[in-house]
Amino acid sequence: MIVEQFIAIAPQLLLSLAIVMQLLLIAFKRSQHSIAFFTVSAILLALFAHYPAMTNVNLAVTPLLYVDVFSLTINVLILSCSLVAVWVSYGYLRSAVECHDEYYVLLLLAVLGANILVLSNHFAAIFLGFELLSLSLVGMIGYLHLREHTLEAGFKYLILSATASSIMLLGMAFVYGATGDMSLAYQVPQQQDLQLLGQAGLVLIMVGFCFKLSLVPFHTWTPDVYQGAPMPVTLMLATVSKAAMFAIFVKFWLVSAIFNQDSMQFLLVCIAIASMLVGNLLALTQQNIKRLLAYSSIAHMGYLIIVLAIQSQQSVAWALKSGVFYILVYIIATLVIMIYLSGRSKAHAITDNDDWRGWQGLIWQRPLQGSCLILALLSLAGIPLTAGFIGKFYLFTVAIENQLWGAISALIIGSGIALYYYLSIIFCILAKPLETTSQTPIDKVGNFTVSHATVMGMLTVIIVALGLFPDILASQLIFQSEQVTIIFNEASQRF
Amino acid sequence: MIDIAITHVFLISALLFCVGFIGVLARRNTLFMLMSLEVMLNAVGLAFVGAGSLWQQADGQIMFILILTLAAAEVAIGLALLIRMQHQRHNVDVDGLSKLRG
Repeated sequence: MIVEQFIAIAPQLLLSLAIVMQLLLIAFKRSQHSIAFFTVSAILLALFAHYPAMTNVNLAVTPLLYVDVFSLTINVLILSCSLVAVWVSYGYLRSAVECHDEYYVLLLLAVLGANILVLSNHFAAIFLGFELLSLSLVGMIGYLHLREHTLEAGFKYLILSATASSIMLLGMAFVYGATGDMSLAYQVPQQQDLQLLGQAGLVLIMVGFCFKLSLVPFHTWTPDVYQGAPMPVTLMLATVSKAAMFAIFVKFWLVSAIFNQDSMQFLLVCIAIASMLVGNLLALTQQNIKRLLAYSSIAHMGYLIIVLAIQSQQSVAWALKSGVFYILVYIIATLVIMIYLSGRSKAHAITDNDDWRGWQGLIWQRPLQGSCLILALLSLAGIPLTAGFIGKFYLFTVAIENQLWGAISALIIGSGIALYYYLSIIFCILAKPLETTSQTPIDKVGNFTVSHATVMGMLTVIIVALGLFPDILASQLIFQSEQVTIIFNEASQRF
Repeated sequence: MIDIAITHVFLISALLFCVGFIGVLARRNTLFMLMSLEVMLNAVGLAFVGAGSLWQQADGQIMFILILTLAAAEVAIGLALLIRMQHQRHNVDVDGLSKLRG
């Protein structure tokens, strides 16, 4: 390997090194403070290592990884989310008597897996990243073993994600059998039976991705796992895991030139429409905010994969820009809500503090937190003047450009249904505070500190800023996506 | 030596995979679910080795080694959860794990 290749994957190398150092640190001194501090500095180092990597993009590092601007952007997003996750976990776990230092090792392993997944250009790398991410997440979901629901959530996630990944692996084996090539830019020979085998493999691989993105026939695990997992782990599942899976799904879809096949396009649009409707309808009756966010994430992922249903090469750049913008906006709004929830929950309680009816009158007791939550919810609902509206608008233009009338109507109907449950929470926050003194009021629970409020406030400012001036970010993304398009065009011209 | 057609290899691995998949769906005992997962993964391994021999490449066999590693890691985590379950409920029946709903 030459120096440039080392620089290109320096963030991942640093993370791997940090994981080994973490284990040594645990052996040397068991302290929650030092391991949390070490993890934060490792992630910060990996983030800074992206600056030199940005200078030299479109570089293949061994046949396994390919570094381009799209992957780097998503990786920066993933690392920033994990930075928030570490900091939130520290506050969450601090109250416990036990020393939870293995938790941070699992967290860093999951981040490494997500990073490898985003960079991968080969089935073996996809497989490794996928498993590194999901196995560490199983460990994290089942981490607080004294709690009521963790065992169930952990077991469900383990069995279902292992089943999904074996289905995906079988698909990879079929594609490899048909083509003799395991890189993403594989080419199926023009023989009838090999075409059939390749097609079967393709569908099986899509099952794996749909499971991880919790798209509709494979969504049933999402609410249970979201609810049963500790709050910071739910945050990881909703941000890091989703962003990584979306990125690799996009890469797979474009580099393997699947968008040229009408049958797969049709399948994708069907899945998207079903996810939007089912996710939003099931969210209507939820009283648990974690379950509600899980169902709404199903719908949001449904909106998001519209960007993949592109008909021509010209729309690739615009679709990628819309996709990255939308997932970023979705992640910021989710982060605001989940940081609040993590601050209000404790590791040694039986469950997290996750009934949204407890938020009644929050805005009168804690105006800043209440208004941050309202703005985040409005952004998820896609109300104008928030970033969520701009994100939806981008998806809308992509759908119109590609004449996906079915998906557009599902998007409108889905957003309408979503408005109902987002608005009921907002009304609850705006209502008169509860008079009862029997239970502890919500603002006395948990380890909520000034720093939680500060970060929530900062993220909310970003939501509003992107809602008013989307060009701050969007103009950056155009440039980057165009570079990606060149690669994707090169890849698809081989067909 | 008689050559075995590659379609037969894929067919048998698909069949094995179905056996494992049905096992995961039908079994109520979590230990047997984990074993069925192993059957599925090994079926995939067979398919990879078959494909590798078809194209005369080592890639298929390397994937098989990676899959073995995954299977070991998965079972390690699965058994850890199983022991917790035995401690908490004194049985390893998956039907007990249905508290989360709504």
